[in-house]
Amino acid sequence: MSVSTADITPGVAAEAAPAKRWNWGTIGFALVIVILCLVPFILVMVISLGEKIEGADWRWSLSLSNYQRFFVGANPEDVSFLYLQRLWYSFYYAVIASLLAVATAFPFVYLMTRQSRRAQTIWLVFLLSSVSLSEVFVVMGWDILLSNRSGLPMVFKETGLTDWLKEVGWFQQLRDWGLANPRNVRFKPSEFATIITLAYLVWPYAVILLYPALARLDNSTLEAARTMGARPLTVVRTVVLPSVRLPLLGAVLLLFVFLMGAYVAITVFAHPAKHTVAVSVYEAVRGATLNAPFGAAQAIVLLVVAGAFLVAAMWLSRLAERRAA
Amino acid sequence: MSRALGWSYMAACALMVALPIVVVSAAALNSGRSMLFPPQDPTLARFTEFFVTEDVWTTALQNSIIIAICSASLAVLIAWPAAYMLWRTGSPLSKTLAGLASLPFALPPIVFGVGLGFLWAFTGVLGQMWAGIVSHAALLAALPVATISIGLQSIDRSHLDAAATMGATERTAFWSIIVPQTVPYTVSGFFFTLILSFNEFIVMFFVSASSYSTVTLQIFNSLRNGFTPTMAVGAITFICASVLVFGLIARFGDLPRLMGADQSRS
Repeated sequence: MSVSTADITPGVAAEAAPAKRWNWGTIGFALVIVILCLVPFILVMVISLGEKIEGADWRWSLSLSNYQRFFVGANPEDVSFLYLQRLWYSFYYAVIASLLAVATAFPFVYLMTRQSRRAQTIWLVFLLSSVSLSEVFVVMGWDILLSNRSGLPMVFKETGLTDWLKEVGWFQQLRDWGLANPRNVRFKPSEFATIITLAYLVWPYAVILLYPALARLDNSTLEAARTMGARPLTVVRTVVLPSVRLPLLGAVLLLFVFLMGAYVAITVFAHPAKHTVAVSVYEAVRGATLNAPFGAAQAIVLLVVAGAFLVAAMWLSRLAERRAA
Repeated sequence: MSRALGWSYMAACALMVALPIVVVSAAALNSGRSMLFPPQDPTLARFTEFFVTEDVWTTALQNSIIIAICSASLAVLIAWPAAYMLWRTGSPLSKTLAGLASLPFALPPIVFGVGLGFLWAFTGVLGQMWAGIVSHAALLAALPVATISIGLQSIDRSHLDAAATMGATERTAFWSIIVPQTVPYTVSGFFFTLILSFNEFIVMFFVSASSYSTVTLQIFNSLRNGFTPTMAVGAITFICASVLVFGLIARFGDLPRLMGADQSRS
């Protein structure tokens, strides 16, 4: 996909802009961009076809064995879906967390864009500071919040909520879900903790993505609807939601792509049997297993899935712009 | 009634966003080695450790700052021609280049990190700090490309026509009209990149090859041994830096416009 872009670029450009002379500056600049932004992806693609040598490094090759290992396992005799399962978990966490983030961010953005420009600016400073915060710090915060000794489980115990849960019998339900040990509730490791942290990670990002669409919403349409007697919730349902349907879906897709690459939250909060592709890429390239070609192959699978959803998101946003125009 | 409901929803969201940050900040006051909340036996000793006495952290902080400033400058240098070419010619070549420059930011960073690790290993510079700086510039160039494009779009083309009618050369028009009007957007792009580079760690992990580390990378590397209150001091430092920088952008630039509040003129 990316190789073909590099190949056709000069020809297309020369045709479309014959008046523009090709100077050395342009060529050099184009070369820098291609080397820095495209070559790394091509390298990953080429190395994914390589082979590991037992007890040594790896060598160039043209084999699809790494992909075979990913999809059906290394031995043809006993089929294993271990890595497909990891891909499924990448997908599963990312879908739920991005939906959760967009669903809770939407009312917030709507209310925020109805405020004054000054108030919006203050909110944006707050949210940008939080969105740029490194994943390691976010995970650090949730690690404390969900830890058994000083987080939510302690609050449950101290307030008597644990005892109450035991009395009404819901405690057993939590145990079945893996959210409690015999004595108290327990959130680490759990899917709940993983998804909450991931959703938190992208929540401000969701606000920033939805902000343009809702800020550009024509206030007079909303006021007209109000004047004609529509209740606020009816206005949201019949006027606001239909006009931002595409940006909403686009935001979910972008957050999804972002979360496919999440690493720290998964290693800290998810059960090892429920780790994702991003974690096994890391393990193969730099961690315990040390198999660069296989790591590269997994990275390519991740890239293809992410790329497909990204293209869908871009297509949606273009569609939305055309509708708005 | 619905107004009060709206306000309480926004307040709840703000509280939720702030909660982990508040907890981390409080945990930095712990005197022991473990992260407890509320902090045990509050002390400011961790701040001294982070900023003065522990070499691991002072070196890491220094590296973080150097890498963030250099890569943000480099990213702006890469982004300016790309954005300018896109605005000026709109040619397929310019669209391709701007698209390529935005590619690494849009895709999962772990893949780009692995690729850059290979690239630097083949060219023999893996583990040198300037390779890390170039890596971050490539990863984050998408941000200044976006802000500078917004700035260029806000230039009234009739000003350029007026300048041309009055005999200004292209070079004069460039320096007297285009550059001054896009300075706030360029600076915003610079600071966006600065803050994101400051906080990034996964790409840095693959390109540093353990020969140097930044603050976030140092925390990432000691993940298996658990978090300590000294790391929480790092978190506080980073949050303060972000609030300061975005506050400055808001003060001297138009943040709602940068975030896309207005319909773009094209």
